[in-house]
Amino acid sequence: MPHLAVSGVHANYGALEVLHGISFDVDRGGIVSLVGPSGSGKSTVLRTLVGLTRATRGTVEIDGDVIDYRSARAIRAARDRMAIVFQQYNLFQNMTVLRNCTLAPVKIKRRPRSEVEAEARDLLALVGLADKADAYPDELSGGQQQRVAIARALALRPDILLLDEVTSALDPELVGEVLDTIRRLSDEGMTMLLVSHEMGFVREVSNAVVFMDAGRVVETGSPAQIFDAPRSDRARDFFGKVLRH
Amino acid sequence: MDYTWQFNVVWRNFDVLLQGAWLTFQLGVFAFAGGTLVGLIGAAIKTYGPLPARLLVDVYVVFITNTPALIQIYFLYFGLPEVGVRWSSEACVLIGLTLNAGAYLTLILRAGFLSVRTTEMEAGETLGMSRLQQIRYIVVPHIAKSIYPALANFFIVVLVMGTSVGALIGVDELTGTAINLSTVNYRWLEYFTVTAGLYVVLTLVASVGLALLGRWAFRVKARIV
Repeated sequence: MPHLAVSGVHANYGALEVLHGISFDVDRGGIVSLVGPSGSGKSTVLRTLVGLTRATRGTVEIDGDVIDYRSARAIRAARDRMAIVFQQYNLFQNMTVLRNCTLAPVKIKRRPRSEVEAEARDLLALVGLADKADAYPDELSGGQQQRVAIARALALRPDILLLDEVTSALDPELVGEVLDTIRRLSDEGMTMLLVSHEMGFVREVSNAVVFMDAGRVVETGSPAQIFDAPRSDRARDFFGKVLRH
Repeated sequence: MDYTWQFNVVWRNFDVLLQGAWLTFQLGVFAFAGGTLVGLIGAAIKTYGPLPARLLVDVYVVFITNTPALIQIYFLYFGLPEVGVRWSSEACVLIGLTLNAGAYLTLILRAGFLSVRTTEMEAGETLGMSRLQQIRYIVVPHIAKSIYPALANFFIVVLVMGTSVGALIGVDELTGTAINLSTVNYRWLEYFTVTAGLYVVLTLVASVGLALLGRWAFRVKARIV
């Protein structure tokens, strides 16, 4: 059974349908990457999975449990199992790095503060920021903020991590540190779904690649197959442009 | 001009003036605190509430901001007893000022609600926060930091201009005390010179207190004066 199964998901922004039936699976411990041109709906897929954008049709299953997006409680339960990291980090600017990581587990999950703080410090060490626990977000570089955002998502002990273009807002020299963090998580067996334009990285870490265009999945396959031998004209055209650089 | 200033009588009654200043300070602080709470609720409803509730807040804000504070307090003090509700003059000033400040603060705080980055709110949502938790942990600290100067200025308005209305219904705050003392020996000029000085001192103390509070609680880099 796949860890995450998405089938036939439609979603709207207002009256405009932006996802026209998206389907793919992610195995436990696997990494699946969504790639494709801007506006193809990759980020919307992630937003729909965590209930920020409402799915109008289709099903999403985690370990075989269907998520009922009409129920606020079911969405909360889904968010316990899936954590998302955004392109723009979205850290809470008024809190220290440590508090960014501990707020939700302590105040919302009601776990003991001492335990959560110890775990958060371990996570900050994992992302290489053990010494920044007491800093504020505006005192950190973009790459550091993004790594804090990853630590904050992990502090919720998710089963599945969704990463939405986590390196797109970063200076090229800061991209490496974030990718290293993702590699480390992958080594530890975290199930991940990523939206990324870092094609070299996608190819290296992914078990499967989903190529999307205009709100549809055009083709799915192994990295080698999608990048080296795409079946569709649209994918050939796209990779012809992006891989040349 | 051959006026002979005589401050002796003022200094003899200085402790009475100080008592008045203390009451002014208390009224200002409580009315502002209460008004902030009302304003926070009003702004939250205006931003996230259902339409009927939003309209209700609009009516409240329009009525309060378009009528004089004096009329509102007269309404409470002279009007309500006609229907059997009798509050002390201090209570009327406090309640009147709270409702008055609440309407203005609804408008001021609404700007703060609208300037929160939606992305931070979404991050809070995906971390499992309810709307109330998002307001508490994201919006309020953001507001405190981003519109702190506007809030601090409004506190001074409540403290100085708002509370002095109390004099007209017999509250012995600073202005009322000064009027009472002046009518005894007609040293209006001296009493009001000293009273003006006390208001400035009160304002300075409040500004410094607010700036320190802001720095300590919200990392606001406010100027002291």
